[in-house]
Amino acid sequence: MLIVERHVGLLPVVDDHNFLVGVVALQDLLSLELPDFVNMISEVDFVHDFGAVETIRPEPHLLDKPVSTLMQPTISVDEECGLLRAYALMLQHQLLDLPIVTKEGKLAGLASRVDIGAAILSRWQSLNASQP
Amino acid sequence: MMGAVLSSLLFLATLGLIFSEKIHRTIIAFAGAILMVGLGLLFGFYSEGQAIAAIDFNTLGLLLGMMILVSLLEPTGFFQYLAVWAGRLSRGKPVWLLILLGTVTTVLSMFLDNVTTVVLMAPITILISEVLGVSPLPYLMAEALLSDTGGAATLLGDPPNILIASAAGFSFNDFLTHALPVVLVAWLTALLLLRYMFRRELSVPPVHPDAIMKMDLAEILTDNGTATRVLIVLGGALIVFFFHKILNISSAFIALSAAAVGLVWVRPDPAVVLKRVEWSVLVFFTALFVMVGGIEATGVLNIVVSVLKKASTISPMLFGVILIWLVAAISAVVDNVPVTIALIPIIQGLGSAGMNMNPLWWALIFGAGLGGNGTIIGSTANIVVAGLSERTRTPITSSLWNRRGLPVMLATCLVASLLYILAYPLYAR
Repeated sequence: MLIVERHVGLLPVVDDHNFLVGVVALQDLLSLELPDFVNMISEVDFVHDFGAVETIRPEPHLLDKPVSTLMQPTISVDEECGLLRAYALMLQHQLLDLPIVTKEGKLAGLASRVDIGAAILSRWQSLNASQP
Repeated sequence: MMGAVLSSLLFLATLGLIFSEKIHRTIIAFAGAILMVGLGLLFGFYSEGQAIAAIDFNTLGLLLGMMILVSLLEPTGFFQYLAVWAGRLSRGKPVWLLILLGTVTTVLSMFLDNVTTVVLMAPITILISEVLGVSPLPYLMAEALLSDTGGAATLLGDPPNILIASAAGFSFNDFLTHALPVVLVAWLTALLLLRYMFRRELSVPPVHPDAIMKMDLAEILTDNGTATRVLIVLGGALIVFFFHKILNISSAFIALSAAAVGLVWVRPDPAVVLKRVEWSVLVFFTALFVMVGGIEATGVLNIVVSVLKKASTISPMLFGVILIWLVAAISAVVDNVPVTIALIPIIQGLGSAGMNMNPLWWALIFGAGLGGNGTIIGSTANIVVAGLSERTRTPITSSLWNRRGLPVMLATCLVASLLYILAYPLYAR
């Protein structure tokens, strides 16, 4: 599985010409079998042992679903996009990963919140270093 | 005459649209009420003043007061505390879990609105069953069914009771002597029947019975201070309710006073507390009052009353039993609030035509309270629980409800009818 191999939380979906058409998110894959109750109650701090939930195994047919049933429309930015705009978009839309596309809309790569946050920090650092 | 025809048509069309559930009932009722007043002004059968006078502020005040208290108590975690406490007490044994969660639901629904009760209980029930590794189905069904059953027991339990108490002048204590004993027997019947019908699901031992013991009760109560204060206020209000007839104050005044004391004592952000009040329900009630007031003003209900009066050559006791089943059958498919609001002026009409109203009021209370269990759409509590169950692996379907819910409705109505007949002199007094 690509998510496990690459350790990313988001899989971009592209068509035959490498145009970005959507994304499949790790959390949507997990919620296929993860019970929904976590979203129903206001807090789970008092549940120290998730008991039977820990041992849940998804039914095979759930994992055989075609990608199109899970795919969501996505927010992406082009390669020239500023770091802060990218970071603001991620915060606003609660995204952990952001697909990057070329001017034509073809997939160029994937940036995580950590990638972008670290880039902003390192730019600040270099700015500070150049202006003592 | 024109007014009578138009207002009846408008009322029937509004009810039809409410029952079709295509548009939210509050929006339909609100528009219907405005149309009713408009028609009344146009054809001269209903004035704005009459419309305002038709609103039962005692019902609205009582509902608002209780809603404010619940919205103060809700964020403290008190309701989750009760559910997890029941779960721990059961030690994860399915039958005990059913009995204890069912009892907590019943007791809560005696004092809270049924929908509020299941909205608070169902999610934590799903959590408990998932963690234990058992199907949440029997517990969720039991909570929906028992919240409707328990609601019939007290003046505060269910909006129809508030409406009827307000119209008939019944006190809090009248319900304790007339409704509570019947509901206790009906509750026991329902619980035994559920235990029998779900015997297969309940015989499966939980995978992780000890997981529930690891839920920390102390951590659930996020705001101990507020919970204690609101519970003291609620307890105080309850004591005053016992004496409201002697003190000659309305139930709305008690509930609103309790809400005021609670707000002064807890001093929350009022915007947050008032946001949790179910304004949609209050607007729906107000609109229905205005609509029924319009029909009343045209005299249509007198025609219904005179027809019923002719039919009432049968014994009053039989009339009452028929009323229980008739109201239960209607409440099984439609919301019991519009049914009750429409029937109240008819019973009052029968009363002014010389019939003893008291047995009819109690029949209405039992029918409206227990009938909602008949189908999955019979009460809002059922709809809410079924909706939440769709997010589990064992959704409650309409056909499942007909097999497991309908028998409970029939059994509890039968119990209520038998006790009604046995204690008829009490209800006729």
